[in-house]
Amino acid sequence: MKILMTDVLVIGGGLAGLRAAIGAKRRGHHVLVLSLVPPKRSHSAAAQGGMQASLANVIRGQGDCEDTHFEDTVRGSDWGADQIVARMFVNTAPKAVRELAAWGTPWSRVRRGAHEVIINAEKVTLTERDEAHGLIAQRDFGGTKKWRTCHVSDGTGHAMMFTMSDQLIRHDIEVLERTEALALIHDGERCYGAVVRNLVSGEIFACMAKATMIATGGAGRLYRVTTNAVICEGMGHALALETGIAPLGNMEAVQFHPTGIFPAGILVTEGCRGDGGLLRDVDGHRFMPDYEPEKKDLASRDVVSRRMEQHIRSGKGVPSRFGEHLWLDITLLGAHHIGPKLREVKEICETFLGIDPVHHWIPVRPAQHYTMGGVRTNHTGESPWLKGLFAAGEAACWDLHGFNRLGGNSVAETVVAGMIVGEFIADFCDNPANTVAQPVKLAQEFIRREKDKLEKLLNQPGKENPFRLCTEMQEIMTRCVGIFRSANGLQEGICGLQRLLQRSRSLGISGKSRGSNPELVAAYRLRRMLKLALTIAHGALQRTESRGAHFREDFTRRDDRNWLKRTLAFWPSDPETLLPRLEYEPIDIKAMELPPGWRGYGAKDYIAHPDTTERQFEIEQIKSQTEHCDRFAQQEALMPYTACLPESLRGKNERLDEPLESAQ
Amino acid sequence: MSQRQITLKILRYNPQEAGSEPRLQSYSLETAEAMTLFIALNEIREHQDPTLQFDFVCRAGICGSCAMMVNGRPRLACRTLVAELPDTVVLAPLPFFELIGDLSVNTGKWMRGMSERLHTWLHTMEESPDICRIEERMEPEDAEAVYEMDRCIECGCCVAACGTARMRQDFVGAVGFGKIARFRLDPRDIRTDADYYELIGDDTGVFGCMSLLACHDVCPKSLPLQNQIAFLRRKMAQVSIRRE
Amino acid sequence: MSDSIFIIQSGLAEGRRKSRLPGLLDIMQSASGLVLALFMWGHMFFVASILLPQGETIMWIVTRFFEGYFFFGRSIHWLVSCVAAFVALVFVTHALLAVRKFPAGYRQFRAIRSHTRAMRHEDSTLWIWQVYTGFLLFFLASAHLYQMMIWPQNIGPYASSDRVWSDGLWPFYLAMLLAVELHAGIGLYRLAVKWDLLPASRVFLKRLKWALTAFFLILGLATLGAYMKIGYEHRYQVGERYTPETLPDWLLRLAPAEDFQELRRMRTIPAEEAR
Repeated sequence: MKILMTDVLVIGGGLAGLRAAIGAKRRGHHVLVLSLVPPKRSHSAAAQGGMQASLANVIRGQGDCEDTHFEDTVRGSDWGADQIVARMFVNTAPKAVRELAAWGTPWSRVRRGAHEVIINAEKVTLTERDEAHGLIAQRDFGGTKKWRTCHVSDGTGHAMMFTMSDQLIRHDIEVLERTEALALIHDGERCYGAVVRNLVSGEIFACMAKATMIATGGAGRLYRVTTNAVICEGMGHALALETGIAPLGNMEAVQFHPTGIFPAGILVTEGCRGDGGLLRDVDGHRFMPDYEPEKKDLASRDVVSRRMEQHIRSGKGVPSRFGEHLWLDITLLGAHHIGPKLREVKEICETFLGIDPVHHWIPVRPAQHYTMGGVRTNHTGESPWLKGLFAAGEAACWDLHGFNRLGGNSVAETVVAGMIVGEFIADFCDNPANTVAQPVKLAQEFIRREKDKLEKLLNQPGKENPFRLCTEMQEIMTRCVGIFRSANGLQEGICGLQRLLQRSRSLGISGKSRGSNPELVAAYRLRRMLKLALTIAHGALQRTESRGAHFREDFTRRDDRNWLKRTLAFWPSDPETLLPRLEYEPIDIKAMELPPGWRGYGAKDYIAHPDTTERQFEIEQIKSQTEHCDRFAQQEALMPYTACLPESLRGKNERLDEPLESAQ
Repeated sequence: MSQRQITLKILRYNPQEAGSEPRLQSYSLETAEAMTLFIALNEIREHQDPTLQFDFVCRAGICGSCAMMVNGRPRLACRTLVAELPDTVVLAPLPFFELIGDLSVNTGKWMRGMSERLHTWLHTMEESPDICRIEERMEPEDAEAVYEMDRCIECGCCVAACGTARMRQDFVGAVGFGKIARFRLDPRDIRTDADYYELIGDDTGVFGCMSLLACHDVCPKSLPLQNQIAFLRRKMAQVSIRRE
Repeated sequence: MSDSIFIIQSGLAEGRRKSRLPGLLDIMQSASGLVLALFMWGHMFFVASILLPQGETIMWIVTRFFEGYFFFGRSIHWLVSCVAAFVALVFVTHALLAVRKFPAGYRQFRAIRSHTRAMRHEDSTLWIWQVYTGFLLFFLASAHLYQMMIWPQNIGPYASSDRVWSDGLWPFYLAMLLAVELHAGIGLYRLAVKWDLLPASRVFLKRLKWALTAFFLILGLATLGAYMKIGYEHRYQVGERYTPETLPDWLLRLAPAEDFQELRRMRTIPAEEAR
């Protein structure tokens, strides 16, 4: 049995995984990256609109800083975020953008002088400062107070991904492409790596490591209509879940993006609306201001998606062969803007819809987009339940996004978490206490177990087709666990999913190849996907409130009193199990810098927690005591977090309006 | 649009299986509105032949996984609408690259080798820049010009379409030239033409290119490959004239 | 023997610093091709002079002109040999450089041919034709150049026509015409897109290329036809050289006096005016 030994095993070749790999490698550790596909094909590359970082270079971003970014993020999360993590994140995001700039990402730059933009359907002339000329530009995105989204035209993720992957190659880090992790090797307390399968040859072997990192992205393919790539099947989530030890957090928090093109679900960026695009209904009426007078088309994604579905339900959808949709109108931006700034969008419209968005409205409808839930970790990115297991990016519940992620915060999270968790992984490996003899026998036992499972799957005389069961699962998820949820629907969904899980025990595989065999892959992934689907549905059924992207028609209010807590899902090891075990992790208002309140958009009524007023009072007091101090000292007094960051990332961020003292 | 029946003739071959012989296998399929080859192939796999191998990732034309020969020409399958195709379509794997099976090829491995060979990363003086400080300035036009070439998705269409590459396995290929052009355009990169000459200044590089320009014509991202390769050729020729 | 031979033999010369040679060779290939193509077009115009009214006379003048007849008072045939030798040198250089790009061996040939057939990509297919025609020209152009070098005196309205018809070389010239026109047209187009120095789009260049090829092919076929016709009519006087019955005065003044005494007298041009 082949066993590879390394210091750090990174599962997933997207932005988070690669950045962490580079970080660990630079600290002198041997790193091995597993990836289902060549890293540059990772779904990170599909991010279009941009990455949030409070650089405050453009005139509409002037005055932006970590504080505003922090508040936007926490409000966006509907107070589900871990505020310490959010602070760590907002302080590192500018560094991440600047590091990428130094590594080669061709960020769009500020041009001095006047330029015309569309804001709230009106032409406005903005004049950029001379001193900002040539610095990284920002655009507007949903749910943000300032223009904060750094971008490379509308191919931001692509440009970032290629920069990162090129840096990985420069650092001579080995990637095992087309290799899939099947199971984590662990003894119940410590993770030692993973059993992996070469998807081409079918070889099954083990990669043993001091630190194992899951950075496998989201699980959008649990849904029928999703913007996610076909590889986003949540297999990293499943790795942790199937240990029975490391839980997943907040899996019911699933984001739907307002503008998936209809009916294919391919994403067109939020940048369309950020740059001035509007949503329109069957009458051509711009309906968002009717629902959200404050942020209009640029409220957070959960809110806009819900309003869109609500509007369709009220009979204002545009009928078509495939069902109803709404329009995204970017014609008002003009060819001179769409050409260079929304190029991917234009290409996508031309190819998949046969329309030119310069002249025609784009048919859109919300589509599954982001998995806020993931492997629950602490602020260092490590699972508190399984030592040596780390997670970052969409696969993790670090918990930056709570119950709704802001546009532009996901690519930002990937790189930022990669930087931070990469350092902590290096620290972990440096610590002599963590250098233990690798239990090779255990690894062999795990290899054998996985081999047996696959042999059984190949040889069992079942009749069920994995591809069809998968489609059924996706239908159920889209129908019952979508944007609007209710006890009845969720219950129905759970029953359906459980039936599928039972049926999946009698899968029949026609091609017996042990090597490259798409049917076999679909079969073993299906069972894992069903477990994840059940975790989402069960969590959603239990959570009797509406928070962020999780909306219950039977419990429409946010309930801080009972539900200001994270769902933790464990999958019991009993093979007959059909439901996860749920536990809850409280979120302490008393430690918050920003206690719960109204988000500034969306529903205004919520059930308050008794601690909230108390904490509000405390905060007022601290603020008045520290009135004479600068914003950093004030913040530190409210919620100290700097010590949580790796030392190399603690520095303050320079801005045009906030020069650093040269001594630093 | 009326529905019609089309025949997909797909090249089947599994190099790992002893006794497997390359052959074209026909599948009949009813088309639907807005059906792409991504949808068609998945339908075949789901309903007709679960053993069929092909690669898709983003299915939106941005990741470059699904390049294949469609009636003899490399294209991204996910962006190919079935409605545009004739009644009989031959699908084959990209040539040149290592075949995994059926329509699946290992472009990733080759691309990594290309990157290692051509050092396709930004070369700067500063090893670790101070990321707390305001970033280096860059002219907006420069950033746009770099991005224009940076849009390459490494799908492999250009190399599969290249007559030169078909004859010499060690040829850099348009994707490689595109990368060099991208870094040459980047004012942050400190390399000179003499440095680039070391990477592409021979017959496996820019002087081996015979300007058949199929790369330019099949590029799904419409990169200006012809002009960029010609530009590099002129620059590299200058180096060869000046060089001792 | 220089020391460097042993370093090169051990395979260590590469990898240190790249040689300048591949660049120079590529430039030379392009430059030699350009010279040959331009020469060939000029040549085409000269031989096509036979198509003009009183073509035989004009072609005779053109021929004599290149032989230095009007400057030195007699035909210096080795001048033509020299030109032919120079062209042959360029030709061999070009062939030597271009053959590097040819498919080496059956495997490569099969790869490129199946590739161009299946792709149906014009520029790639044109390249295959360039290989085919280039290959033909190895033989045809070599033979032609050799002939011109060895028997430079055999150029003229009757001499050339006899060669075409009575010596039975018209199939040779037909083949060479097709090969050279295709090859040069494609080659010049390739040069234009390869170095991208002309401010013209590829579509325009491609159209121009086809237009020029068509023009020179028609011109060439007509010219060949004219020589065949003359050769056919002259089939019983093979070996006889053409002498013009009339010449314009200014040429007559340049021509050697003894060659056109009759004509001079009629035009009353004194003998001493001739050189």
